[in-house]
Amino acid sequence: MKLELGYIQIKDIQFSKECKVDNGTLYVDPDAVKAYLYEDDDVKAWVKDFGFDIAKPGESVRITPVKDVIEPRVKVEGPGGVFPGVISKVETVGSGKTHVLRGMAVVTAGKIVGFQEGIIDMSGPGAEYTPFSKLNNLVVVAEPNEGYQDHKHEYEHAVRIAGLRAATYIGELGRSVTPDETAEFETYGIKEGLEKLPNLPRVAYVHMLQSQGLLHDTYVYGVDAKRSLTTILCPTETMDGAIISGNCVSACDKNTTYHHQNNPVVANLFAAHGKTLNYVCNIITNENVYLADKQRSSDWTAKLCRLLDLDGALVSQEGFGNPDTDLIMNCKKIELQGVKTVIITDEYAGQDGKSQSLADADPLADAVVTGGNANEVIILPKMDKVIGTLDYVDVIAGGHAGSLRPDGTIEAELQVITGATNEMGFNRLSAR
Amino acid sequence: MATAYNPRDFLILTNNPLVPTCMEGRGLYTIRFQPERSFREILVEARDMVYAGHILYTHPLAGSVKPNETPYKSLVVSMEPHGFDAQHGEMIANAIAVFDKFKPLQRSLGPSVLEDFQLIDYTLLAGAIGFDAQAGLSK
Amino acid sequence: MSYKVVHYINQFFANIGGEEMAHVAPELREGFVGPGMALNTAWKGEAEITATIVCGDSYFAEHEADAKEKVLAWVKEQKPDMFIAGPAFNAGRYGYACATIANAVQEELGIPVLTGMYEENPGADLKNKVLIVATANSAAGMRKAAPVMAKLALKIMKGEKIGASAEEGYMPNGIRRNFFEKEVGAKRAVDMLIAKLSDKPFTTEYPMPSFDRVAPNKAVKDLSKATIALCTSGGIVPKGNPDHIESSSASHYGEYSIAGVDDLTAETYETAHGGYDPVYANADADRVLPVDILREMEREGKIGKLHDFFYTTVGNGTSVANAKKFAAEYAQKLLQAGVHAVIMTST
Repeated sequence: MKLELGYIQIKDIQFSKECKVDNGTLYVDPDAVKAYLYEDDDVKAWVKDFGFDIAKPGESVRITPVKDVIEPRVKVEGPGGVFPGVISKVETVGSGKTHVLRGMAVVTAGKIVGFQEGIIDMSGPGAEYTPFSKLNNLVVVAEPNEGYQDHKHEYEHAVRIAGLRAATYIGELGRSVTPDETAEFETYGIKEGLEKLPNLPRVAYVHMLQSQGLLHDTYVYGVDAKRSLTTILCPTETMDGAIISGNCVSACDKNTTYHHQNNPVVANLFAAHGKTLNYVCNIITNENVYLADKQRSSDWTAKLCRLLDLDGALVSQEGFGNPDTDLIMNCKKIELQGVKTVIITDEYAGQDGKSQSLADADPLADAVVTGGNANEVIILPKMDKVIGTLDYVDVIAGGHAGSLRPDGTIEAELQVITGATNEMGFNRLSAR
Repeated sequence: MATAYNPRDFLILTNNPLVPTCMEGRGLYTIRFQPERSFREILVEARDMVYAGHILYTHPLAGSVKPNETPYKSLVVSMEPHGFDAQHGEMIANAIAVFDKFKPLQRSLGPSVLEDFQLIDYTLLAGAIGFDAQAGLSK
Repeated sequence: MSYKVVHYINQFFANIGGEEMAHVAPELREGFVGPGMALNTAWKGEAEITATIVCGDSYFAEHEADAKEKVLAWVKEQKPDMFIAGPAFNAGRYGYACATIANAVQEELGIPVLTGMYEENPGADLKNKVLIVATANSAAGMRKAAPVMAKLALKIMKGEKIGASAEEGYMPNGIRRNFFEKEVGAKRAVDMLIAKLSDKPFTTEYPMPSFDRVAPNKAVKDLSKATIALCTSGGIVPKGNPDHIESSSASHYGEYSIAGVDDLTAETYETAHGGYDPVYANADADRVLPVDILREMEREGKIGKLHDFFYTTVGNGTSVANAKKFAAEYAQKLLQAGVHAVIMTST
């Protein structure tokens, strides 16, 4: 399957009476976007109002609590549309041509539960830890209807959909814009790949998806990943929005939708594809709480690795605690099939860095890449402007009574920063 | 590892009041609700049962809410002992080790935050054993 | 004003001589000697070696207590901002001396310390206690090691935050520290996978905790005919600890007869262990070494016989190498005595 991405570089975002992309600037009319969001019945039912704001790199701005980050894209050629099974019809994506509004994101913010973190600082020390400080962000702040307390599942769903709709609306503005740059991505069928790249090791990406419950879920073509068996995806499907994020608790190692669209493992395997390896496919597998599910899913992962006659597999994790068990089960079982693995994780080694980093371990996991110790304490200075609310900073991860100091600085663990210790290997942060 | 799916064998150990509220009488499982127990005490109770041969049905560290943040814990063990499983023993012992490495946080949680922690713990439990979380909440 | 450093080196680096001169006793010299010059040069006046202690490697090994006492007294008198030993490269006894003396200075005088050596040097066993810079395996690595040690030492003296081991050049010491790599994680992972697939060397960023798993023996077929022995690392000894097993870092184990003993009481047994609250073990040592229950099982015919001797040591901080040595020794005794199975209790 072959996908062409056309990158339209967005250098600035401005509010305007009309919506368009012109010479690298996105002009947005918040009222037009809002009207489009309210065309959805769930949004109408649960969201009282949306506020819009713009946050640019280097500004003294803090966005919190962040729910999701999404890159606007639009399908311009080929089957399917963006976010299949959720926004577009459930048609297989990953081929044809897609335009990407690069250098920007739609960020959804607003409280869903009372201990929700997810901080994006656009400048200062916190900005170094989140990739989203480098983007021009269109922030959509949702405010719930009365009575949402008893309907948090519905409200979470409505905010998730609102973010995807906003990104869809913005992405559409790039449909007829000529991209600044294009790139092609193609993986082969099994036999075709063997013929074309006979001497290269065959490698797949085992992509673990958080799938546990409210604010801990991931959706594939609209299917809740915890109700899915381990299966195969073409890498380009991910790029076209086949996987969307429904999780934001403990934001440092949660994959936002942006992470899925720009999955760095996919990007780096494509960079090596045809040169040092043959990138066969993605295997997606869940991280359920029920232990028999863990066993089944990891058994299937290993089985698929064997069936595909892989030489190597790269495994990425999502989340803390019980996914360590899935990670180690996957790694061990795949290795026992004679397929070599590298795993990507992050660490909870305590604030002093002295504790055991993972909740599970195995000697077969001898090649590990780490996204850093999420318990490390960071002091975030006061920002001139807050988009969202600081009401919950004292109860966020690693925070304590007094985390939000009178002078406006925040003392907390890296856990609170969106994407800080991402386990797809999105960042340069590491630990030794 | 765990035996085939048999909800009659599910014993839910919990200190989360939302669990009996939403789930009591709506399935084949048994709920042992002990509000006086701490998060750690629930883990220890489960550990002792696993050591005595009960099966651990759900991972003791469900969710990304860290054990020093939420006071609530629900997990599922078997009603009956089926024989000691070393892997389960290791898993529950590791979970207690993980709990102990997180620094206790000195903070008081308001009622709405406590309710949200209950909600998350409950949905993780529901997700794990295939209980319709939303249906439970409508009760 | 520059920082004051005391440097420790062996007879070889002080130009006294090789193995034939390894017996020389410690001496204190003013200023730098030998490799100290490289450190001084790298500091460019910000810090300076004001005194050098030279000690023969054999002397240190054979008179450790005496050597330590002398060195500590000198260092105390000098009141340096830092104590640096070596680098020792691959010299085993030198490395041991560097790490051991640095650890003593740090613990007893509270002065920050640094040493350097090759990662396979036995002295590197102390890497979780003493900051050790990883060096090449021969003195040819001095030119590379000196600037790394000098830079790290200066940071420590200035009270600056130390970076991750991979950045600063010290051996991983069990404390995880964050830092920014040059490449993103996914790129590092792909590179690591390619290296692993082509059997080229790669370094994991997180070594799994070390495992020393022992495959279990086959189950004892008939317990009612088996002789069972009790062993413990919980430090249970006859009252008074006749063999003086240390309360931590035990150097030996004890072998004691329990023939005819039905129950361990507060009057007859106690624990030598210094790593846990001894009250309950001292009140009833059966809690750690369950002689009473085993006797009961013996009477009921559940087990054939409780072995007449038990083997005991203190697990508190005892090195794995020592523990292995003890067990290898008494395992032979157990085998010779025809013991079928052992219950090993820990605390």
